[in-house]
Amino acid sequence: MNVYQPHLMNVVAVIDETPDTRTLRLQFKDPEVAAAFAFKAGQFGEYSVFGAGESTFCMASSPTRPEFIEASFKLAGKVTNELRQLNVGDTMGFRGPYGNTFPLEQWEGKNVVFIAGGIGLAPVRCVIWNVLDLRDKFGDVTIVYGARSVADLVYKRELEEWAGRSDVKLVTTVDPGGETPDWKGEVGFVTPVVEKTAPSADNAVVVLCGPPIVVKMTLPVLAKLGFADDQVYTTLENRMKCGIGKCGRCNIGPVYVCKDGPVFTAAQLKALPAEY
Amino acid sequence: MSAAPDKRPTPKGKGTKGAAPAAAAGAAATAVAGAALCLTEENLGKLVAEIVAGGTRLVAPAREPQAGVGGSADYRYISSAAELAFGDSLPRMSLKGFFLPQSEVLFKWHRKGADVEIEAVPTEFPPQIVLGARPCDTAALEIVDQVMDWGLRDELWFGRRDATTIFNLSCPVEDASCFCHAVGLNPDATRAADGMLTPVPGGYLVETCTEKGAALIEGHKALFESGDTGAAAQRSKAAAQYRADARAKVAADLQIDTTRIKEWVGDHFDDDFWTALGPRCNGCAACASVCPTCHCFDIVDEPEGVGHGARRRNWDTCQTGVFTLHASGHNPRADQNSRFRQRVNHKFFIYPSRFGEVLCTGCGRCSRVCPEGQDLAEVLACIDELARA
Repeated sequence: MNVYQPHLMNVVAVIDETPDTRTLRLQFKDPEVAAAFAFKAGQFGEYSVFGAGESTFCMASSPTRPEFIEASFKLAGKVTNELRQLNVGDTMGFRGPYGNTFPLEQWEGKNVVFIAGGIGLAPVRCVIWNVLDLRDKFGDVTIVYGARSVADLVYKRELEEWAGRSDVKLVTTVDPGGETPDWKGEVGFVTPVVEKTAPSADNAVVVLCGPPIVVKMTLPVLAKLGFADDQVYTTLENRMKCGIGKCGRCNIGPVYVCKDGPVFTAAQLKALPAEY
Repeated sequence: MSAAPDKRPTPKGKGTKGAAPAAAAGAAATAVAGAALCLTEENLGKLVAEIVAGGTRLVAPAREPQAGVGGSADYRYISSAAELAFGDSLPRMSLKGFFLPQSEVLFKWHRKGADVEIEAVPTEFPPQIVLGARPCDTAALEIVDQVMDWGLRDELWFGRRDATTIFNLSCPVEDASCFCHAVGLNPDATRAADGMLTPVPGGYLVETCTEKGAALIEGHKALFESGDTGAAAQRSKAAAQYRADARAKVAADLQIDTTRIKEWVGDHFDDDFWTALGPRCNGCAACASVCPTCHCFDIVDEPEGVGHGARRRNWDTCQTGVFTLHASGHNPRADQNSRFRQRVNHKFFIYPSRFGEVLCTGCGRCSRVCPEGQDLAEVLACIDELARA
């Protein structure tokens, strides 16, 4: 088996999240591949448009919903530009799943706090649905999500769904100036909103993902709230090509993000050189 | 330029190597199994002819027919013994390209409306033979095997590895850029080789190390002579002398402890040492191209017409700015200091941490080709000195 040859997938739905962010819902063309495919929260794949190349995205859908996989991407470069041209019924390529996973089994019985900024909600959303689909196994679920503006909030319908659930505490925020007249959420950066929300560190884990600045600013706040570094999980994004530890691109110090990650605890992150 | 603010060793660039320190104890002898046979120069020519006539692709250090006097040898597919250049200097490029081509098709795609058909490439390859490989180039293959077999196996790499029989040429040692001894090899190393040729008067002493190597000899039995006992003893003596001379040359060269270097590099990610080295790197990637162990690659799509094309992997290198550049514009390695540091890190810290050995065979090509005079042997010597301090 040539490990660089992707499986073919059908685009079965195209969902515009924001003006520049889109979600593609995908199904394997080959029923045998579909039947054999399994992944866990935190893993990623190499998605390709034939003629443009491959890009690395996390699995944005939950493994508890195996009938399709979803990838959310922001228009940024050559491949994402081509991905935006795809319509329902088009064919694309997928290799994966690769990388390590969030240790959900270890989190059973614990409270789970999700913190995300911008498109950082994509990998977190996978874990959120994974936890919500196994709701009984976990304690309190808190979600703090922020974006630059109301228009930049991704997964808007799901945010509404989570807001309506009694077993989820959802706090949404937009950067100052990004609010609309009818905005009912918080106004402010993610970090101070986390501080204000003040989730308890007792018997809890945090899944934190967002632009580097959000992660960097929020880590000390979590420490202040009493979270130990091994209670805080994040997922790193480095430029990758092969996704399987060969092409040499994603090193951070001795770590291969594609093999040792993309999921790291804050404790692991702090032991690494700041080359990400 | 002012002197370094402290007395820390700083590489000065190529050509400033100090006097060689006293020779270390000789490295362990290379174990070569199998009977020692002789291949005369004349029979080497016949061997080449027989292999080529049999339809097997043959790689050897060879000179381009048009190259003239100034041309340097390179590993090439050859069709006659006239092209052989065993006596030339180290081939310009390593053997890497015969296993990881500079540009390689991973598969082809064909659009059929909204559908796409994938045309797979074979992962099995026709046999090929390498004659006269330098031990540093052959050993590199087995080092790179480790990463290619890490987790998911790279069938394109191993398909070619499995299809290839390699006979080394015991190395006469090139110049002051060589340092195979410092990274655990020696000029007559047979790591990853199926056999070895050692120059002796009138021809080569031939030894085999694997069944693959023995099979090659077996297929051309008439060309290999064992001769009478006296001649055989003389040949063995000449070969032993040749190897001892070569070993003596490298043993007197770079004296470093790669374990000590690994620890220092691992502990000194942020260090002025790297800052001083960065400006002497153009990011031209010549070092990575000629390196037998540099294996990093890019994956790109190349349309080959309307609606069809190929996905390829191309050699790539951590020495360029775009290597780690994110689509967002963020670049974790934004300056050349950090890129050169990555090169040294990957070879002498990351790879040893993962796979237990350095990602370098001491061939010295990177130092020879560097237009800025960056000399890896000297860089290592400096790190070793820092680590001892």
